Amino acid sequence: MSESSTDKLPLGTTPPYARMHKWLQRGLLVCLAALVLEGAFTFPLLALWYGWPTLSLQEICSEFLKIQFADDKKECVYPYPLFGPPEGAGQTAARQDVWGVQPKPLYKRVEFGEFITRRDARLARQAAAE
Amino acid sequence: MVTNTLSGNTTTYDDHQEQSRLAQWQADKWLMAGSFFMGTAILGLIGLPLFLRGLVLQVRAQKVGLSVRPIMVTLIGYLVIVDAALNSFGWALDMIANHTLLARVFLMAWGNMFDAGYFWHYNELWIGGATAPGEKAWEIALLPIVFCMRMAAGIGFLQMKRWGHQWLIVTCWFGVVIWVGYVANMTIFADVRYSGVVFPVIGWWLYDLFYITPFLAIPYLHTVNREIFTD
Repeated sequence: MSESSTDKLPLGTTPPYARMHKWLQRGLLVCLAALVLEGAFTFPLLALWYGWPTLSLQEICSEFLKIQFADDKKECVYPYPLFGPPEGAGQTAARQDVWGVQPKPLYKRVEFGEFITRRDARLARQAAAE
Repeated sequence: MVTNTLSGNTTTYDDHQEQSRLAQWQADKWLMAGSFFMGTAILGLIGLPLFLRGLVLQVRAQKVGLSVRPIMVTLIGYLVIVDAALNSFGWALDMIANHTLLARVFLMAWGNMFDAGYFWHYNELWIGGATAPGEKAWEIALLPIVFCMRMAAGIGFLQMKRWGHQWLIVTCWFGVVIWVGYVANMTIFADVRYSGVVFPVIGWWLYDLFYITPFLAIPYLHTVNREIFTD
């Protein structure tokens, strides 16, 4: 090993590990970029999927509760009382989920923009009923 | 008088040390600001250019021969801090702020999209937040122990302290335990976590794969020349 090749290595990196350290550095840069992109875009993209900006955040929250408990009357309470009981305490789903050691919910996956159509349909139903 | 020609100019040792210290601080200011924003997740795009600017300053200082921190130590140190911050934010929201509108929408949306542990029966436990089997126990164990400790270790590591290097090894190995335990939990309770989910399993993996920074750090931490760290 010539002295000049050792000189070019970063501080702390010895020749046997030079190649490994180089690849680790590349991996770290990829992870950094990926974490930043994920972090920056997750919330906006999730919000779009679930109907924002047509629906407000509180309306999206309410749609979630309606699915969880299969109950169209559930509304997301906001602001929630500080130190109040857990929002979902004691609530039971109107839908019969699968219970046992491996419980399983029976609601369906939510499609893109589905909350908007669900809400419109529900409001139309309610208007027709009145 | 002690002289050297490290930076291409004949300067005194003290001058060289002072210049190195200044160059390091200059780079660190950008790196710290960048990491701060990247650690918040949503403001990450503001942080990335700041961080890269700091990295460029660091490389430049190294190229002109100043005694600054190696790039790998810089990258690993800041990245494990960002990784720990991202994990801490989400889980702290779930544990403490689980009835805020932002947490309910963001965490339940995340749950409905990738992991129903954050959706089905959300906010039904007395402690609130996620109710999937074991999930709260992970949060209680990992937030104050692993992630806080890893951030402290990351700071010591960036200061090139021996304890920083040692504790980063410890907390990065904690990361292996976390991954094995967490993935096993999600597999065993797969019915709870993936039923009715928009983008199950692969979606979760695509999202969480990039939290492997502690794993990338482990081989480096064990093969770096330890003499570069001081008491």
